[in-house]
Amino acid sequence: MSIHSKTAIDAIKRSPFQAISAIFVLSLTFFVATTVAILVYASNKSLSYFETRPQIISFLKNDTTVEAISALQNKLSQDIRIKDVKYVAKEEALEIYKKATEDNPLLAELVSPSIFPASLEFSVTDLKLAEEVINEIKNEAIVEQVGFTANIGGEKSLGDVVGRLKTISRYVRFGGIVFVGVLAVTSFLVLLTIISMRMTSRKGEIEILSLIGATPAFVRSPIIIEGVIYALIGVMIGWTLSFISWLYVSPSLLSYFGQIPVIPKEPLQFFILFAIILGVEIVVGFTIALTGSLIAVARSLKKAR
Amino acid sequence: MISFKNVTKNFGSINALNDVSFGVEDGEFVFLTGPSGAGKTTILKMILREMLPDSGQVLFDNTDVTKLADKEVPLLRQQMGIVFQDFKVLSERTVFENVEVALAVSDVSQEEWSKRVSHVLKLVGLSSRSNLFPSQLSGGELQRVSLARALVINPKLILADEPTGNLDWKTAEGIMELLEKINKEGKTIIMATHHEGIIKHAKHRIINIDDGIITNK
Repeated sequence: MSIHSKTAIDAIKRSPFQAISAIFVLSLTFFVATTVAILVYASNKSLSYFETRPQIISFLKNDTTVEAISALQNKLSQDIRIKDVKYVAKEEALEIYKKATEDNPLLAELVSPSIFPASLEFSVTDLKLAEEVINEIKNEAIVEQVGFTANIGGEKSLGDVVGRLKTISRYVRFGGIVFVGVLAVTSFLVLLTIISMRMTSRKGEIEILSLIGATPAFVRSPIIIEGVIYALIGVMIGWTLSFISWLYVSPSLLSYFGQIPVIPKEPLQFFILFAIILGVEIVVGFTIALTGSLIAVARSLKKAR
Repeated sequence: MISFKNVTKNFGSINALNDVSFGVEDGEFVFLTGPSGAGKTTILKMILREMLPDSGQVLFDNTDVTKLADKEVPLLRQQMGIVFQDFKVLSERTVFENVEVALAVSDVSQEEWSKRVSHVLKLVGLSSRSNLFPSQLSGGELQRVSLARALVINPKLILADEPTGNLDWKTAEGIMELLEKINKEGKTIIMATHHEGIIKHAKHRIINIDDGIITNK
């Protein structure tokens, strides 16, 4: 172990409460940062899901012939604004209903395929085109009604659906960034204060080291190492707590949101996402520690001169 | 090795050094004597470049230390060993670590540290105290730690500011014996002291300073 690392560790051991407070604040910051990062990821993924996969269902009139359905299906398939056209027969619609109501089988027993209309389901290549496509398809003779499956919160129009999702995403991003920013500044200030206190308590030692020929870098090194140790421990604790929390809630989240990929379903993808966040947090933590330590040391050495 | 040329230093209206000029040759042992406040420590601080003169030159190996850039000062100090009256040992480090830190500061390879520290601790008679902390040592032992720290970097010059000032006569004699031994090995020593007994006993060149003026060389 280098003399600087040993000095830094000795300093931490000598003032454990300063170390605990620094690590506590940094852990809190990185816990929230990890949590917010996942929330931002989830909101982006949800938005992307609805933007790229808006299912439009055109319910067909009961007396529609197979030829008419086939003609409309071909017409839709050839439209460059439309993709993934699928015909859902009455029987299939019943199956979908049964699946959706599997918690209460009685509901499925009370219905027959005849009450479900056949439909043509499809997506648009760009959500902006959906409104215009819906209006066009409503005018088709065999179409009874057109629905958009991405309705959330009871909105009626397509604009409301996407608008609301975007607002949620914006709030999560903005609120998260502000909150993490406030915590990051707090961490930075706490680190600055603790390092300044450390410099004050080491004033005599710094004077002696300087007299025997220590360079400013030699004086700075243990202080910077100490700051980096606080930041790295803070990152590891904050990230680990958040990781465990997300790991714990992920089965419920995946089940609740169903097809919407709020968090990665594949374990490997889940770990990769968290590994990326950890990597970014280590860099941020290192930067906070380095900047805070350098400012504190520069200020203290300037005062000492 | 050391040359002061017309050095003047004022602290407000107080004339700490007034047109001081003297030289110290390689391998010499010189006493800087004079009453408290005469300017002895000011001279040592200028050699260390802890303080700059108002005018004049302070030469160390023909380099004017007053002209050195701040970043060059550590290198200058790494060529000197310093012994202080108040020891200036690091209270939270052991005897061994206190000596070791001088090697770390001087960028000496870590592999050599243990061997060199053990050697100087043996030289000053502190081998058995190497794992003790300064609070567990006597005044004489603390001064020997300070001396060991000065010696371990194998300096060209040793500056000693009242190294016996806080010690009883017997302990002071022990420190002087060590300094004599080091001087005989070829080190240049400049020692500030007003300890009459030591000055008379040691019989080295004396530079007496009074009210910032050198009264003999």
